[in-house]
Amino acid sequence: MRAHGPPSRHVPQPVEDRRLRDLHASTRTNMASPTSEYVTLVSCDGFEFIIPRSAACVSGTIRRMLDPSSKFSEAITGRCTLETLTGIVLEKVCEYLLYNEKHKDQANVSDMDIPPELCLELLMAADYLDT
Amino acid sequence: MDNEVPLPPPRRLRHRSPARANQSAPVSVASSFRKSRRLSRFDDRSSQPSSDPALFSSDDIPASGLENYNAPAPGAGGRKRRYRGTWWGEQVQDPKRKRADFKEKRNVDSGVWMGSDESGAESLLTSEDSPAWGEDLLKTVLDPRAPGRAPTDLPFSRGSVPIPASPRQIVVNGNEESEEHRFARKVVNDCLEKGEESIDLGNFNMRTIPIDMLQSLQHLTKLPSLREPPISENAYFSLRPFLRIYLPNNSLATLPRELFELKDLRVLSLRNNKLTSIPCTIRDLSALQVLNLSVNRLSHLPWELLVLLQKGELKHFTPRPNPFLSIEDADIAEWHCKSGESQHEKNDGNYDDDDHKDDDKGNEKLPQTQATFTEYEGTPPDDAWTAIHVATGPTTLYNMDGKPIGNTPSSRLAKTQQTAPTNAPSLRELSLRALWKLPGLDFIAEEEKLEFPSLVIPLLSLAQGVRADGGWYCSVCQREFVSRRAEWMEWWDCTPHENGMKRPRASGEKMRPLPFKRYGCSWACVPDSQRVD
Repeated sequence: MRAHGPPSRHVPQPVEDRRLRDLHASTRTNMASPTSEYVTLVSCDGFEFIIPRSAACVSGTIRRMLDPSSKFSEAITGRCTLETLTGIVLEKVCEYLLYNEKHKDQANVSDMDIPPELCLELLMAADYLDT
Repeated sequence: MDNEVPLPPPRRLRHRSPARANQSAPVSVASSFRKSRRLSRFDDRSSQPSSDPALFSSDDIPASGLENYNAPAPGAGGRKRRYRGTWWGEQVQDPKRKRADFKEKRNVDSGVWMGSDESGAESLLTSEDSPAWGEDLLKTVLDPRAPGRAPTDLPFSRGSVPIPASPRQIVVNGNEESEEHRFARKVVNDCLEKGEESIDLGNFNMRTIPIDMLQSLQHLTKLPSLREPPISENAYFSLRPFLRIYLPNNSLATLPRELFELKDLRVLSLRNNKLTSIPCTIRDLSALQVLNLSVNRLSHLPWELLVLLQKGELKHFTPRPNPFLSIEDADIAEWHCKSGESQHEKNDGNYDDDDHKDDDKGNEKLPQTQATFTEYEGTPPDDAWTAIHVATGPTTLYNMDGKPIGNTPSSRLAKTQQTAPTNAPSLRELSLRALWKLPGLDFIAEEEKLEFPSLVIPLLSLAQGVRADGGWYCSVCQREFVSRRAEWMEWWDCTPHENGMKRPRASGEKMRPLPFKRYGCSWACVPDSQRVD
């Protein structure tokens, strides 16, 4: 299903969030605290995406993983390893999580752009992440 | 490749001298092939094969031989021409066949039987031949024109295996069309040719409309009938066709999406069919003036039709008789109009319920199955001409998997608190929206779907359904959607448009509301009064 584009396509970049970029260095040290503002999502091929906790909690699965009362290791470290998602898919998923958080209260939301080759994989990911 | 002239009848289908053949045989394998070689049964040209034609590959590359059969054939791009049909190849087989087609047909008996060179007249299959005869069939790929030449292509190598075309595929290709479809197509083509705007396809007993039949009507051009220059300007008229399609007395259960792409369609009659629902894409027929849906199996109408009645050109609308859900039997969450005098003021608020929310609350309990129009004297008021919103049914909310969630307010509240109603679509919904627009979706066959992960299969079917209807649109926010999240019924009285005449309601006339079904794309797209905040 996935198109084989130029190799650069296959290197997902961390989600572009300006606040995030500024805070990147400082938050990394605080990551261990369970109430940190940012969480890390790790794909099966080792890509890490650091996104706001509120955005990550749009997904039901991640919300339950990070629930402090659950005492899961994810909740303690603030680091979720998603074994079923590759970096390319997880990049799009993170884009969606931020898109959903941004447009939560808006009346007329334009659709997010989804490349056709990722459609089916995102369907699977959406089922897994309950979003 | 397609345009190449098929092989001429081989010059020598006669008996070949074995000596000559042996003489030119370079390899022993080839000669062993030849021994088992049989004379074609089609020597007698009058005998037609009873089964589907077999496939043969050409052997027109001079440098080919057994010693280099693995090497790519020079000049031919590594591919050989293939012929289907009689032994001497009358039809060139369409090379664009899907890989999937080959898989299931590779081992199928073609039914074409080859006689043997040696056996001549007694070319009947003997029992000891029977296990090997299938191989013989394959070996006849040998070029008949070059007796000494070894096969250039292994029988089992990809792409050159004789594959009989199964009858199922012919149907898929549309080569064999049912008689009524052929007649209907002829009528459509005649109309196209003559510039006739009225297409009468009644009484054809069609169950479906072939996909590409109506598409060409988009390009129907009216012919000017003037022979001489007109005297006055009144003689000029618009060449925009006044397209009329009549499909009464068929057995249609579904309508093709092409029908709703005809922007010039003015008159559409679907009387006496077997339709159970009308797709919401009917809203695209903005020029529609007359619509006849009588004598079908409709239990409700699409809400988009109401838009045509209110804002479009639709004047003559014949929805009855149909087994519509009756307002007496249905659950009503909210009444929008009262009987008697006080109703007149209320009608103004039909389009925005918010203004009259408080009034509605007071009336909710009243059993108002006998709504009547306001009484008036003299000239009819404006709203005597328009559709009137009579009632709204309860809303069914669906979760992300498309399963309805409990309808009691408490369970709904619990559910919505967990995930607040949001306008942002879910990731699954977004992917599905992207998916149904993919052009390849139409070509995913049922058996191919089994190869997909099991949780995707129902979603794929859903996307195919949306594609078949040409898209679904949320009736609140007008965006397209795939999985519905809310669904409710609205009752509207359309009597001024019904029965072929546009006339105002009579004073105090009894309302005969019709059910219109509305879909919402998210939990935020529900009737105003039922929104959970």
